[in-house]
Amino acid sequence: MIGETTVRPGLWTRAQRLTIERLQIRLESLVVLIALSVAMAVLSPYFLSVSNILNILLATSTIGILAIGATYVIGSGGLDLSIGSVMGLSGVVGAFAAVNLGVPSPLALLACIAAGTAAGAINGVLVTRALIPAFIVTLGMLGLARGFALVISDGRVIYGLPPLMVYMGQGRPFGIPMPVIILVLTAIIAHVVLAYSRFGRHTLAIGDSEGAARAAGIRVKRLRLTLYALSGGLAGLAGLVFMARVNSGDPTAGLNYELTAITAAIIGGTNLFGGRASILGTMIGALIMGVLQNGLNLLAVQPFYQQMAIGAVLILAVYIDQFQARKDARV
Amino acid sequence: MKGLFRAVALAAMVAGVTAAHAEDREYGILMKTLSNPFWGAMGMGVEDGAKEAGVPYFSQAAESDQAAEPQLNLCNTMLERNPAVMITAAINSTNLLPCLTAAQEKGIKVVDLDGNLDPDVLKQAGVNVTFHIGSDNVAAGGQGAEYLVGKLGKDAKGPVLVIEGLSGNITGQKRARGFADKLKELAPGLEVVASLPGDWDRGKAANIANDTLTAHPDLVAIFAANDGMALGAVESVYAAGKGDQVTIIGVDGNVDAVKSIKEGRLNASVAQLPYLVGKQAVENAKKALAGESVPEQIAVPTLVLTKEVLEAGTEPMLQFVK
Repeated sequence: MIGETTVRPGLWTRAQRLTIERLQIRLESLVVLIALSVAMAVLSPYFLSVSNILNILLATSTIGILAIGATYVIGSGGLDLSIGSVMGLSGVVGAFAAVNLGVPSPLALLACIAAGTAAGAINGVLVTRALIPAFIVTLGMLGLARGFALVISDGRVIYGLPPLMVYMGQGRPFGIPMPVIILVLTAIIAHVVLAYSRFGRHTLAIGDSEGAARAAGIRVKRLRLTLYALSGGLAGLAGLVFMARVNSGDPTAGLNYELTAITAAIIGGTNLFGGRASILGTMIGALIMGVLQNGLNLLAVQPFYQQMAIGAVLILAVYIDQFQARKDARV
Repeated sequence: MKGLFRAVALAAMVAGVTAAHAEDREYGILMKTLSNPFWGAMGMGVEDGAKEAGVPYFSQAAESDQAAEPQLNLCNTMLERNPAVMITAAINSTNLLPCLTAAQEKGIKVVDLDGNLDPDVLKQAGVNVTFHIGSDNVAAGGQGAEYLVGKLGKDAKGPVLVIEGLSGNITGQKRARGFADKLKELAPGLEVVASLPGDWDRGKAANIANDTLTAHPDLVAIFAANDGMALGAVESVYAAGKGDQVTIIGVDGNVDAVKSIKEGRLNASVAQLPYLVGKQAVENAKKALAGESVPEQIAVPTLVLTKEVLEAGTEPMLQFVK
């Protein structure tokens, strides 16, 4: 393929262009997802069933929601390492409000998202106003949010959520688990906004070249602050889903989830240095990990190997990306 | 092409084997994690138990003992294989509830491995567990107190430190309470002057022991809710030059503790027998599936390990200390 200089591009190249232009996803990741699914379906007779596919989506829900936020922030050339901890904090805030303070369920659910948004906004202010590098700010918030979650909950898991809150994680309207519905709706909105709105274009523009974006009149600081708050808010939503799924506010929830979420975004084709990102791509990245994990679970493979498999997929995904970039540069 | 053919044939074989398994309904075993010796030993017990009973099984574990949501995902996946029974060691008392409810609806029996499920929470969720199996943690704490009183005498006097587990963790609370209650009953002169959470952390326990020795230089004993913390306390006590004055007792009987006991540093450890717990869980599950009656609470005994017991090597239960 390399160095081929036909006038009419090959089928593969045309398919690549089509998926990028129409869906903002890389054909390679889609092919990997399909190939992986076929392999799992062949290897395990339990893989291809509606309930198992719902399982995969359910298992991907919290990571998927976090990864949406990660995609926006990384796409803008930023980084948010605090999302796993903020997710834990949000769940604890919601559970504490409902169980210990007796706050009505809808308000307690809002409190989850508000807590996440607040933590994200603090990140944003520190990055844009105090000019501390995002890596440091969000690494600090990772510790602050986790510690605060432990303080609020006194290091214990808060049990006994009211039914409406549990429904958000365990309810199944039309047979579809609530977390899956929340993920899909969030992903669709986030995809449309990132791909087609001015906000989305500006986000990728500041990731591509902050200087050029500023020269073009984009209010970079305000946009960055909004993006960190958005990432925090989505972490709050993920915390809400987690809390409802396990029916408790767990201060250790989301430990290391930030790395898994970033992995999903990168496997899905987000450029680690900003400028290129797509939510559909990220969802495919998250599903690749979900399918891999689910399949290996069905085959009863030790969890240690699963971590190795996901690490290998990450490196492979970025390698394919680099390979493609070099090829494009040559043509 | 030949390679491809081989790969497909191999895949088909694997698929065939897995499908054949499903017909004699497997035993699904879901553990917390494999990355510590306690769960490793329990896994061995399960394996040997299943082999002896001649039942097919598959076992899975979350990546760490804090991965509550991944464990729930694993549990849901396990349902797809439609096992006859699910022997589960839940990370906390609620994380697996949705999955266990679904298992019950599918007619899969549920077993609580290592007593992590709270009967009250289960009742609220409407889940009926076939049986709970594990060590009796209150009794294990009590055995620690019995050992201490046996060593110091029932008229002994002096301050005692208790190092609890992670604050709010039921296992650590039971052990600490079992120890304190039994001590009060057997030797009222030994007074628990502090009972502090060491969070299962060796370093934190060492600090607690250090601080308590400063406040109570005449400390006579330390009971820690697990061996890691007891070993942390050992370091502080020996660093303070009080190894002969303070009796230190841990719980678990893990490899490091056994080594320390043999070296004459740690005085005793109330050993749980996770191997036996795993083995008996499978044996009792088989009984329950065959329609025999099985007690709702099965307590697997614990064993006090001391230098004498280890050196004599005559205690029959020692073979289960792994």
